Amino acid sequence: MTAATPSNRPHYHPLRPDSAARAHLLVTDRAALDPSALADGVSAEQFGEVWVVAGHVHTLPRPFGESGVQAFRSVSHLLTMLGHRLAAETMGLRLYAAGIEPFVWDVAGVARAAGMGREEIHLFAHGPALRRVSCVHCRTILPAVTTSVVACTGCGAMLGVRDHFSRVHNAWMGVQVDAEEPGDVPAAEELA
Amino acid sequence: MIIDSQALTLRVAAIDRLSPDLAAVHLVAADGARLPPAAPGAHITLSLPLPVAARPLRNSYTLVAADPETGYRLVIRRAARSRGGSQFIHDRLAPGDLISATMPHNLFALHSQAKKHLLIGGGIGVTPLIAFLARLRATGARFELHQIAAPADLPVFAQLIDPRAGEPVHIHPGRAGFALEALLRAQPLGTHVYCCGPAGLMDAVEATAARLGWPASHVHREDFGAAGGEPFTLRLASDDRTIAVAADQTMLEALEAAGIDAPSLCRGGACGVCLMPVREGQPEHRDHYLGEDERREGRCVMPCVSRSRSPVLVLDI
Repeated sequence: MTAATPSNRPHYHPLRPDSAARAHLLVTDRAALDPSALADGVSAEQFGEVWVVAGHVHTLPRPFGESGVQAFRSVSHLLTMLGHRLAAETMGLRLYAAGIEPFVWDVAGVARAAGMGREEIHLFAHGPALRRVSCVHCRTILPAVTTSVVACTGCGAMLGVRDHFSRVHNAWMGVQVDAEEPGDVPAAEELA
Repeated sequence: MIIDSQALTLRVAAIDRLSPDLAAVHLVAADGARLPPAAPGAHITLSLPLPVAARPLRNSYTLVAADPETGYRLVIRRAARSRGGSQFIHDRLAPGDLISATMPHNLFALHSQAKKHLLIGGGIGVTPLIAFLARLRATGARFELHQIAAPADLPVFAQLIDPRAGEPVHIHPGRAGFALEALLRAQPLGTHVYCCGPAGLMDAVEATAARLGWPASHVHREDFGAAGGEPFTLRLASDDRTIAVAADQTMLEALEAAGIDAPSLCRGGACGVCLMPVREGQPEHRDHYLGEDERREGRCVMPCVSRSRSPVLVLDI
């Protein structure tokens, strides 16, 4: 790994319904909500409306805001519908997202675009330690990086994955590790 | 800490009598220079040389317009129960007079990330809304304005707000016809609400928004002059001096009247500049600066708005 740089790694807390909210919407990128995403003593029913992703589902669309579980065919389908859903929503909603890190920050991006602020969005990232890495040199996104050093698929640079996460770009920062001394690439380690 | 000692010397360029109780005061720099710019929602504190008082009275007024070239504009209501500041402006101040003021400060700014701005004003609380409206019209931002006015004042408020065709601007004759809960319930995600007016109206907006699940960061209020209450006595721990705080006087005004050099800025319970340590007694906190824990502990108080529950409050100064 390159010389230690300050970390801004996000810290996630298991989800719990915000008692101040008028309504809740919980979204996950899995077919069913993983119980580990919820705080002790909290059940999915407490969130009212839950959106999941399940391949090949044949559920008919239901009115927005109806309580119960609604399934979508893909993450992109869910995110598109979430944008429509939030555009029609009034103040007082809290949005919760559970899933892999790139998914929960995509949800945060949709929510932010709809005008929601930090207090209204709660995220819990879990699952495999995959990092979405952005090459700062050519802006290629490497979707699922597991090691501390990785070759950029766009420009070929050997990138050191820094412990720096952009909440706006939804990506970790990848910077060429051998820029000072070409060829001096440290051994790759598995990312935690 | 936000303190600055820079003062402005302003000249009264014009005073327009909008109604028997409302006057628009146009101020320019005494030396003809450019004035500091100010974002909508900013206020200045005027030092008013009251003829009866030993020290000038300091009153904060919102800038309804602030242009470095053309000057500042204030709209001031003659307060019936007042320490004389607004009466001085209405009865004594004349074009050409010089007046000392602080630099503009803004504790009630528009939120740049808001998707929609909901403006609610009560009475003279219209002043920051006029400044907001000019900016929102210029930028094309989405807004909605509700102003509550006494029925007799409707024409003058309509003149001040100057609604244009198709704008969602509503001027209500009194609170009765104003459906606050329905209004807040209908607001889209990303709305920020700004309220300026009587404490009762602002408390209702804050409480209703909280009940409907609005996060506190989307609710903004501006209150000047919620001062009155039971009289009490201040004692200074350093020299055992006692200072009486009258029913229509703030603790800060009483300290100033006693010749104590107490720093202050917004004089509305928002900035925290005037914070004072408390040794004994139970403060009645009315500010928006101290946290819940600090209020409970009661070790400090903001003398610009807060008062005392105990008959005597001992300040550690």
